[in-house]
Amino acid sequence: MDISTERDGGTLIAKTGGRVDGTNASEFQDALKNVINPDDQAVVLNFEDLSYISSAGLRVILLTAKDMRTANVKFAVCSLSQSVRDVFTISGFDQIIDIHDSQQAAVSAVSN
Amino acid sequence: MTASQEVPEVSYKILVVDDEPDLEPLILQRMRRNIRSGRYAFVFAHNGVEALEVLHRDSDIDMVVSDINMPQMDGLTLLEQIPKVDPNIRSVIVSAYGDMRNIRTAMNRGAFDFVTKPLDFEDLQITIERTLTHMAEWKEALQSRDKLVALQNELDVASKMQQAILPTSFPSGESFEVFGNMAPARNVGGDFFDVINLENGRLGLAVADVSDKGVPAALFMMSSRTLLKGAAIGMGTPGGVLSEVNDLLTEDNETIMFVTLLYAVYDPESGALEYANGGHTNPLLVHADGSSEELPLTGGVALGVMPGLEYRQSDFSLATGDTLVLYTDGVSEAMNSEGEEFGVERLRQIFVDQPPTSAKTANEAILEAVANFAGDFAQSDDVTCLVLRRMGG
Repeated sequence: MDISTERDGGTLIAKTGGRVDGTNASEFQDALKNVINPDDQAVVLNFEDLSYISSAGLRVILLTAKDMRTANVKFAVCSLSQSVRDVFTISGFDQIIDIHDSQQAAVSAVSN
Repeated sequence: MTASQEVPEVSYKILVVDDEPDLEPLILQRMRRNIRSGRYAFVFAHNGVEALEVLHRDSDIDMVVSDINMPQMDGLTLLEQIPKVDPNIRSVIVSAYGDMRNIRTAMNRGAFDFVTKPLDFEDLQITIERTLTHMAEWKEALQSRDKLVALQNELDVASKMQQAILPTSFPSGESFEVFGNMAPARNVGGDFFDVINLENGRLGLAVADVSDKGVPAALFMMSSRTLLKGAAIGMGTPGGVLSEVNDLLTEDNETIMFVTLLYAVYDPESGALEYANGGHTNPLLVHADGSSEELPLTGGVALGVMPGLEYRQSDFSLATGDTLVLYTDGVSEAMNSEGEEFGVERLRQIFVDQPPTSAKTANEAILEAVANFAGDFAQSDDVTCLVLRRMGG
């Protein structure tokens, strides 16, 4: 599972493409754990290239969000496609996870 | 490469079988680097009978290098006997140059490879290494297979648990009928539905999708169902029910599973329907003429995520001839081999083509349409559908 990363100050921006569903959700979870460093102060997941996410994928996002909260690391997602956005809305996750329209907006939101 | 001081990663024990007495010192001398480094340890036997005795005594032997012509028991006979002692041992046969008949027989009897006399020790070492590499890969493959079998067993157990809690008979009355069904996916589990008898002749209807798979998810599913039933019987409003179930689920939720849940309460006398949605897909309301619309979401979050959440509810009235379809995303997100999703539009089209005539036939029409759409493409999620129909008085 490919996750490309860049760092902006203390913020890690991780980008993943394709789909996250039942077949690769645990791979995705492991890949995320590997790219996040203990001294990252904030994490932004950029979903610009993500075409689809299932509830299994949502679960990974939720787990990550909870881990980040425990470690006092700010967490947000950005650049969701309409269909991915719909999944977040229907499941109500848009009420518990920070969603931003662009990477820039997300990074400035979490760096405050 | 410094041989003498290295600690080898793995050490292999090789049994050499040959009646030629000079072979032992020759091997010990020519293979001394590997012996000193600890990579190879050699044990010697002089015929097939002795070799079998060694194999019975010593369970650490990894492979056998054997001559063919030996007294008491020759190499070809030995080849047949080795798997009976240990089927994981691989053998390399030493044959006379050009002795195709014996080489052929040896291969047919399961020899992994052969080397020819006079022994070329570089060739022997290469052959030994290839054999050991093959054995390591084989062992890894077996372990993966065993893990896979164990996983499949767990999923089978989970699947049985899931099937056991789904209702197979449904209440019905003069003015209403209910029918629910689920087509499980092979390696994913997680959907459930339920019909609950409430006081005053009212009906609780639920459809849900747990986020994980396997036995832990099946247990979570059973928990959710039981909690839902308890909360439903104890109190009236769908919003309150979801709230309570959510609080109970988040209390002990170490593994962070969540469940999307749609819960509705129907009053057959008046046709009134109240519903609350926890992260689940909208229900579809189909009219007698086959037209339909999606009922609005109530904005609730999936259950099990965070405690203390409030769940709004919405209400509605079913007209005579209306059919309410509750379903899970296994329906709308079913895929075919072209990567297309079934989608809500196709679901609606089913009833445009053929307005519902009964809850059961409507349910069957949906499952059939999804199966036909997906075709050979493997079903990746449970397909669940619960239908309520208000009939003419």
